[in-house]
Amino acid sequence: MSAVDGLKAAALLFVAAILQVSVFAQARVLSGRPDLLLVTLVAVALLRGALFGALGGFFAGLLVDTATLAKLGLTSLVLTLAGYWIGRYGETTGRDRAHAPYLSVAVITVLYSFGVLLVHFVLGERAPAGAIARGLLPSIVLNLILTGPVYWLVRRLLRPLDRGDYATEVQLLG
Amino acid sequence: MASRDRTARVAVLGTSVQRSRNERRPPRGRNAQLRRLILVGLVLAALALLTISFRSPTSGALHDAQGYGASALRPFEVAAQRVARPFRDAYGYVSGLTGAKAENAKLRREIRELRAQATANEAAASRAAELSALLRFEQGRSYPKDFRPVNTTVISFPAGPFAQQVTIAAGTHQGLALNTPVVTADGLIGRVTNVGPTTAQVTLLNDPDSAVPSVDVTHHVVGLIRHGPRGTLIMDRVAKEQVIEKDDVVVTRGTVDKRYPDFYPYGVPIGKVQQVGRSDIATYLTVEVAPYARFDSLDAVAALVPTNRK
Repeated sequence: MSAVDGLKAAALLFVAAILQVSVFAQARVLSGRPDLLLVTLVAVALLRGALFGALGGFFAGLLVDTATLAKLGLTSLVLTLAGYWIGRYGETTGRDRAHAPYLSVAVITVLYSFGVLLVHFVLGERAPAGAIARGLLPSIVLNLILTGPVYWLVRRLLRPLDRGDYATEVQLLG
Repeated sequence: MASRDRTARVAVLGTSVQRSRNERRPPRGRNAQLRRLILVGLVLAALALLTISFRSPTSGALHDAQGYGASALRPFEVAAQRVARPFRDAYGYVSGLTGAKAENAKLRREIRELRAQATANEAAASRAAELSALLRFEQGRSYPKDFRPVNTTVISFPAGPFAQQVTIAAGTHQGLALNTPVVTADGLIGRVTNVGPTTAQVTLLNDPDSAVPSVDVTHHVVGLIRHGPRGTLIMDRVAKEQVIEKDDVVVTRGTVDKRYPDFYPYGVPIGKVQQVGRSDIATYLTVEVAPYARFDSLDAVAALVPTNRK
């Protein structure tokens, strides 16, 4: 993993965040919204691991909260955890699995939605669980549609690493 | 060299493979520790930002920094909007076709006209039409005195169902302040609830936290406009004795007593009464108002800045 990789990932997430707040946030299909940023973050985390996932999630979230003048740190918090978790999955079980991006996007869409809901609830703000639940299935479908092209693009920019570069935490004895 | 009495287990697990100096990697345990440390640091940083942002949402150094950050991001958002505009128009056209099936005959005629117009116009032409409509409103009779329009565009949209807020490309540099009313050519859409140097957050009328003092100009009945079901608004606090009818026009009430000025000027159109419900057990009438403005396709908007404010 090099600084060039970091720059490429940062550029990808920056473009995804800008497109998300200005274009994709408005696209509503059956109460669901596509989340380009989340799908891009999942692709970056799967290909570059937990550290890239967490850092990418934090700064992409900060960008979204800044652009929308929303509460700073809210999106960062949830995206950091999402990026880390998917990165760990990519480093271990999900490595080299063709279905990993799709499975990750489906699962993380659910967890991210309820994660944001939980943070709003804890802050004492409006937390419409019903609206989230209604929009969940269409959002998963829309995100899965985005997954193929986004993962292909990210994979072209960030080539998969050698096995040895992953931090697997499996130690040799002796 | 391995000893003669070594077991298979030792051969597999007990002996490490000697690597050359160049191949030596940092210990895995240290990597994992560092990774977890960074994660904890990022989570704590996010929580700290959230705490500061929650405690002082519209002032303070962090808010100022956020405002400047938003200003820096504005050109990128505007560029993304412009690139996406033809696709959005195409989506809106297809979406309009689907929705038209459910409309009545009169609306279908209007949609056909709009469809023909949409087909004929390109993206730039539709922007020009919106701006000229806004100009007509600003030059029309219903435009409030003592306010000057700051024409701008919507650059980001609600991220989820938590709050109905949009970001517009104008801020304190253009004269906007907290609670500045924002309108489209159709009518009121909301007020500014957070403002940066060149961007501002507008809380729409269909947000659960929004409440606008209003008046039914046909029957001179006052009430409070709040969000309602299925994209409508509710005119709340209308006593049962009051007379109010379908198709009555509802506008902002404005300032009644100068000691308690209202954020909104008098007479900005909000919508028309769609349905009036009466219940024996309820204290107030249930007045459903169909808003003039379409909150799901906002583009060109104007902020109403008092002329006595610099």
